[in-house]
Amino acid sequence: MSEKIIEKNKGLVKADFSFWVGLWMDKFYDGFEQKKILANKCPQCGTVFVPPRKICGKCKVQLPLDENWMELGDTGTLVNFTRTAYKVTDRRARKAKSLNDIGMVKINGSDTAIIYPLLDFEPDEIKIGMDVKIKWADEPKGGPSDIEGFVNV
Amino acid sequence: MDKVGIVGYNQVKLYTDANYGRYEMIFEAVRGAIDSAGLKKKDVSTVVSATNDYYDGRTISNCFTVEVGGAYLADESKVEMDGAHAMLYGLLRILSGNHKLAVVWGGSMPSSYPYHSARLYETDPTWERPNGYVNDITASGFQMRAYMDKYGVSREDIAKVAVKNRKNAAKNPLAVEESQNPNITLSNVLESDIYADPVTELMVAPPCDGVAAVLLAPEKQALKITDKPVWITGVGWNQETYYLGERDLTTSNSMEKAGKMAYDAAGINDPRNEIDLAELSELYAHEELIFSEALGLAEKGKGSQLSSEIGGELPINASGGAIGGDAPCATGLIRIIDAVKQIRGEAGEYQVNNVNRAIATGQIGMCAQNNIVYVLEGGK
Repeated sequence: MSEKIIEKNKGLVKADFSFWVGLWMDKFYDGFEQKKILANKCPQCGTVFVPPRKICGKCKVQLPLDENWMELGDTGTLVNFTRTAYKVTDRRARKAKSLNDIGMVKINGSDTAIIYPLLDFEPDEIKIGMDVKIKWADEPKGGPSDIEGFVNV
Repeated sequence: MDKVGIVGYNQVKLYTDANYGRYEMIFEAVRGAIDSAGLKKKDVSTVVSATNDYYDGRTISNCFTVEVGGAYLADESKVEMDGAHAMLYGLLRILSGNHKLAVVWGGSMPSSYPYHSARLYETDPTWERPNGYVNDITASGFQMRAYMDKYGVSREDIAKVAVKNRKNAAKNPLAVEESQNPNITLSNVLESDIYADPVTELMVAPPCDGVAAVLLAPEKQALKITDKPVWITGVGWNQETYYLGERDLTTSNSMEKAGKMAYDAAGINDPRNEIDLAELSELYAHEELIFSEALGLAEKGKGSQLSSEIGGELPINASGGAIGGDAPCATGLIRIIDAVKQIRGEAGEYQVNNVNRAIATGQIGMCAQNNIVYVLEGGK
């Protein structure tokens, strides 16, 4: 008797999702096409969100679509980082040949951090609190991969 | 709150790759819990399970577990979180006054799917998921670094938790074999492969196959079923914001609020002195320290100074905790079962002396976004 394993059921169902990002994120990704970071601000508590939010969870109010937006620069502060041995873009999380540095960065003028790779840093060079700058894709398409990562200023 | 008792329990042995099917595993856990209380299927009036559609590879994952979960033509429902959250639902069913016996079970088999891929589906599909930089692996590195950086905690302080829990797991016959190591040293942990720096592989609770079940009954019924009921005297739960970039990862605000809610219900004012033992769902070594601080068992940043080994001042995860094996959807329920075993004096080699009041926690989400805390007590 051998162990029978059903790998998957090919062809029966294909369930690729197509998510519309919504009006607020449409505006944000429109900015990416111009290599711009657009943030929005909660009218009640003043928190500046990147990416923009439709709702401020703390205040439970809707942020208006036509107001309280601001354009921020492409520099920020590194607030946290990790170095992983796993291929971060690999869905099965297999080991990578080299280590990847991933950083959490607050774009200057915002209160929330975004997470992208740290590109071309020497291991000892990475420090919490350091200034970093966005590296944009040469030809942005209006999606999350337009930011390739962060480089040293 | 009316008294609700845990009157039976069972947990299967955890395996990295269990050599039997998930239905047999669920059946073994649930049938074993019913047998442990000397009851029969007909005594069960409501069933609540915890499974996850992504982990099970099908939608409405409880539709296939009706028979093995003891829910054949029974009042049944599911929670897509940890088994500890399913127990909250079971508790509320009993408190409604309509039920005399609830079966609560949870579990999964990560050997049958890519666990990290399923965890990636927790991230925002319109922002973080397409790139995959935010996942449970990188999140653990952010969480540990945030905690270390804020309080000046060392890697060694955190590695000590992994050493303690892996040694404790060696005394627990149900822990996963790969975690059981009575001779593990600090340097074994620190020099193990990088997972997400500063987290190393041996600081991680390894995903494994497993199912656990408990039985709940109202006071009168509980006393008829067993002379060793364990009472749920407090429960608290809390959820924090979704995006990691908005959260304070140096602590666990949701655990702090959940703990306060549970302590208030149980009348606990000084948790460090009023609790005999804690079983915490630490998916990484650093989470045990973050949680024990959030639960008031140690001052902020000083969790590593607590004497938490078996025989220590306040034993934490005497069973080996989640580092002794993390069976997704079962882990919190297993913490509850281990606290119950300690109160009933049934923990065998990892038994702690004189445990009458214990806490147990479960979690779900990146960096433990949602936490649930139970206060459990012995006596009539």
